[in-house]
Amino acid sequence: MSDPRVAGLGAYAPRLRIDAEAVAEAWGRFEAAGVDRTAVPDADEDALTMAAEAARRALEAADREGSEVVHLAFATTTPPMAEEDLTPRLASVLGAPAAVTTRTMTGSTRAGAQALDGALAAGPWGDGVGLVVASDCPRGAPDSETEHAAGAGAAALVLAGEGPGRVTDRAAAVAPYPGTRFRAAGAEATDTLGVTGYEREAFTTALSEAVAGLESPPDVDAAAVQSPDGKLPYRAADAVGVDPGTIAAADTVSDLGDTGAASVFLGAASALEDGAERVLLAAYGSGAGANAALVSAGGLPVRAALEGDVSLTYPAYLRRRGEITPGEPEGGGAYVSVPAWQRTVPQRHRLVAGRCPDCGGLHFPPAGACPDCGARPRAYEPVALPGTGTVEAVTTIAQGGAPPEFVEQQARSGPFVSAVVGFDGPDGDGVSAPAQVLTAGADDPEVGTRVAATVRRIYDQEDVIRYGFKVRPVEAVR
Amino acid sequence: MRDAYVIGAGQTPFGAMPGEGYRSLFATAYERAVESVPDGLADSAIDEAVVGTLGVGGRQLGLSAPAVTEHVGLGGVPATRIENACAASGYAVRQAVQAVRSGMADVVLAGGVEVMTDMSGDVTKYWLGVSGETEWERLTGTTFAGVYAQMASAYLAAHEATPEHLSMVAVKNHRHGAMNPDAHLGFECSLEEAVGAPTVADPLNLYHCCPTSDGAAAVLVASEDVVAEYTDDPVRVAGVGAASDRVGLFQRDTYTAIEASRVAGEQAYAAAGVEPADLDFAEVHDCFAIAELLAYEDLGFCDRGEAARLLEAGRTDLDGDLPVNASGGLKAKGHPIGATGAGQIAEAYKQLQGRAGDRQVEDATLGVTHNVGGSGGAAVVHVLEREVAR
Repeated sequence: MSDPRVAGLGAYAPRLRIDAEAVAEAWGRFEAAGVDRTAVPDADEDALTMAAEAARRALEAADREGSEVVHLAFATTTPPMAEEDLTPRLASVLGAPAAVTTRTMTGSTRAGAQALDGALAAGPWGDGVGLVVASDCPRGAPDSETEHAAGAGAAALVLAGEGPGRVTDRAAAVAPYPGTRFRAAGAEATDTLGVTGYEREAFTTALSEAVAGLESPPDVDAAAVQSPDGKLPYRAADAVGVDPGTIAAADTVSDLGDTGAASVFLGAASALEDGAERVLLAAYGSGAGANAALVSAGGLPVRAALEGDVSLTYPAYLRRRGEITPGEPEGGGAYVSVPAWQRTVPQRHRLVAGRCPDCGGLHFPPAGACPDCGARPRAYEPVALPGTGTVEAVTTIAQGGAPPEFVEQQARSGPFVSAVVGFDGPDGDGVSAPAQVLTAGADDPEVGTRVAATVRRIYDQEDVIRYGFKVRPVEAVR
Repeated sequence: MRDAYVIGAGQTPFGAMPGEGYRSLFATAYERAVESVPDGLADSAIDEAVVGTLGVGGRQLGLSAPAVTEHVGLGGVPATRIENACAASGYAVRQAVQAVRSGMADVVLAGGVEVMTDMSGDVTKYWLGVSGETEWERLTGTTFAGVYAQMASAYLAAHEATPEHLSMVAVKNHRHGAMNPDAHLGFECSLEEAVGAPTVADPLNLYHCCPTSDGAAAVLVASEDVVAEYTDDPVRVAGVGAASDRVGLFQRDTYTAIEASRVAGEQAYAAAGVEPADLDFAEVHDCFAIAELLAYEDLGFCDRGEAARLLEAGRTDLDGDLPVNASGGLKAKGHPIGATGAGQIAEAYKQLQGRAGDRQVEDATLGVTHNVGGSGGAAVVHVLEREVAR
């Protein structure tokens, strides 16, 4: 049985950027070579929400549905929780079936390539599809090279029995090099020892071993080489057997920064969008190990949203990262118990409304007596809303006006917009629900503004992250 | 069905009173209510007590009614807490009227109390926020200011009204409140100041929002069988209306009206056999400036979309043909949540007794009070009438 084909590629990066100059102005120097700016997750973004953004784009590119996903692999070095499987929530957001096989890969920046390796070995899956999602938002200490380089982004590959893309060859290798890039248990910041020659040797040794495992030397249009900064990948040009121009053809680190486990996939997405057809993926992970894969991808549909258009000042950047914000205030937030939250997961994750079996009225959330006919149905007929809608009422909660559980969000991101949205129903009807409106890259929404849903962190309580839908103006959808 | 009468009513000053607790505030309101009974009233005459409070701060959430009645020496009477967010004590008065009309009691104490200024802003926001729709609306980061701001956005988009009209509500109510010695914010403000205030939740600014206050109010309700023992100038509860609606704004049919207010108003007018045009004054629930404009329309003072015309023509000023919130309203008099509804009745009682001082509405014989819970999940309206012609 042959490996699954690649049917679609999706990529996402936050639209916020911090310029190297802004960091240099604050610190007197900028430590990350070859990085012009980095992508910054908004306060309500993390590896899971970015993964969902990329996965949706990949499924759209492949013209497949979340309900068809039978193998879901999630790769990140920055899982939002140190312990707790996040793939069930990612699967829920995408609408994957309960029987989906899930894998989480973490621990090093080659987790994305390892996830692809595993999925290729596991598939194909008949009519079902595999989804490999790599998403990362590394962090370092504020004055470190790691932090100056740290970016954010996610990429996802849809694997299926048929598809224009093919992984024609792959190989992996390990080489024991401890101490090149690591995060101690319980620590938030990734660190390096800064032993430059040693780190470079680990990088080139592992990558050359992996590439040497390929059947023939790479003959490619672009080489997506692991990019912890904008300099190291070029140091490995000889080791992977390509010229620097071929590496530059898959550059994303200069605009997105270090995207960790998503680095090589994002590089491939960028190169394929620019017309490349044959791409080398050369992923490196500290420890050390490397994975090499040759992708033949002529005609592969790619949907990427990588542009940044909101430039942050350095203080705004520190706020976004929570470096100078107060955390949840004393007094506690509105208490919605975890079981109460869990009962509404289909609504929070996928905007599942309900149709009254008696009168056909559409309601959200689908609970209680039907407001239209007064019936008390045992169950509403589930209706997944498409997620588009129109602002019906709207306010911007000014700085200082947030209720306690949103104080930290406001401290990080500033005033936020809260609206009542009239969501479109599937049959020309509709139903209203409240939602925050993401405003990055858009004018402030007004009554009548068209919006579309996405998933973000709503808030944290008792260390449990609550994910749910927010909307953004259609004009800001990328 | 027996008629019910207000034979006395009083309130504490509303404001920030760090020297007072919820019990001492209630005691002051009770004493003022008793003192206002023209022919006097003994504690022993009270058959029952109904106390409205949200319990902000959770200081005595359970058994808060017996906790205040024992403090004023009414130990032993049935005492019940009523909770309906900001409409708690409007509903407490309605409960007293029901008890009297049913024949179960002859004299009932209805009151309300809240202490809101002795804790951090975050704790206050917590308590207020969880009195709206918590699981969905609140979790988009809204407080009540946010939800009323959403209503304002819809209203301003639908009708010929501007944020400046909202500021005119503040100017009017501050002008009235400056004449009320019990007002929390008893000062006048200019339109320029009101327009230029910092934004709270766009389009609402600070002057479009009522304060959080400490305070208590008490109302004594008596049956027609005993009213003559206490006064020869009785104020009759001519009509009561009450209604509820979906708690979350997003679940309602309209965002530019408060349906519960409209229904409660129609009920109260019908019961009293009056029309809005018959009213001499109104105390309406102006927790946010947009709420006063909605009240004009919900209570039938003008047609839909015409509230700004009524306001800008000065018709709801103290010297207009229908003075609204002569007390200063929630905006200037203050809004100690659980005390607000009973405080409105206390103001109406003063007006109808001709004891409202500088803010007295001339020849007041028929008034309406309008008390809303949350953003419109509950509303209660009372029509009060002075029976003795002047």
